[in-house]
Amino acid sequence: MFEFAEWLGATPLSVAIQSRLWLTPLLQSIHIVMIGVVFVSILNVALRVMGRIRTDEPLVEVWHRFAPWFWSSLGVMAGTGLVLAIGEPVREVSAMSFWVKMSLIAVGVVSALFFGRTVMAAAGHEEAPPTMAARVVAVATIFLWLAIIFLGRWIAYDVEIWESWHLG
Amino acid sequence: MDLYGLVELAHNSALSEWMRTSLKAVAIINAVHVLSIATVFGTIFFVDLRLLGYPNVQRSFSRLHHALVRWTWAAFALSVVSGVLLFMVNALTYYRNTAFWLKMATIVIAGVNMLIFERFTFRSVANWDQAVLPPPAARLAGALSIVLWVSVIFLGRWIGFTKGYDFSIPEDVQFDFSLPSE
Repeated sequence: MFEFAEWLGATPLSVAIQSRLWLTPLLQSIHIVMIGVVFVSILNVALRVMGRIRTDEPLVEVWHRFAPWFWSSLGVMAGTGLVLAIGEPVREVSAMSFWVKMSLIAVGVVSALFFGRTVMAAAGHEEAPPTMAARVVAVATIFLWLAIIFLGRWIAYDVEIWESWHLG
Repeated sequence: MDLYGLVELAHNSALSEWMRTSLKAVAIINAVHVLSIATVFGTIFFVDLRLLGYPNVQRSFSRLHHALVRWTWAAFALSVVSGVLLFMVNALTYYRNTAFWLKMATIVIAGVNMLIFERFTFRSVANWDQAVLPPPAARLAGALSIVLWVSVIFLGRWIGFTKGYDFSIPEDVQFDFSLPSE
């Protein structure tokens, strides 16, 4: 993996990214703007599942309101994140935060796909009040994305956070 | 005491010293800052979209505003606390950083935009609450708000690249637009 990262870091594409110094802060800024859209979309849906907001609206409508924002912003983040990673591949693969973050994103994406399917399948049926299990899953989902955001910021502080777990 | 004296005091405080020597403090506070500012932007963004008449929903403006505004303020409070702490860690450097002052000025302008909206445009909300497309003044406030808060995020990220603190910049690179040091 390190060999691959070193090879990638020496490719013309990576060098082109590295040499444009405005590119990294620009992409990071876009990445952070998108965090806002993704996280608040998650927050709205999770709070709706918990019966805290928008209870006059069917769950499927709340999902349809926020899902396009969630998926499209996540797509932009994948794009900006990919370019950032190509620009600094060794930094990413040596960061424990990076690998834990990617694993948690996989969990988040799979659970969002599953949630969307479930909600759409249940559309039109009478909605039961939120169960304890549903509340727990909603809170866990909020914390999952919080962890992803924290880990993203911690790629820059990997040694400080993970100490001997840092992979460099 | 002048502003510089105050900044110096903050820089040399025991709390700042502790944050500088602690390995994890800055990393944790920084992550809280990113999270809270993203939440401020995200909640404001969806309210601003409603002001711009997008998407075409039946939900009234005031109900949407009501559902999100507490999250905006909670996140804003958290971003101010984490931001003050981050400032204290390197107060003397930030004091000389142009991106930092531009960010502060942009937050003030965003605040004024919000205040004008709340004081004048929002007063007549009963007339346009259910309207798909709110009046021009409301739309302008919404558009300005999105632009200003995106600018705050960009300027914030720019501080990290111009203060010479947590990112190493090659020496031959002219990337600094901070004021010349005294």
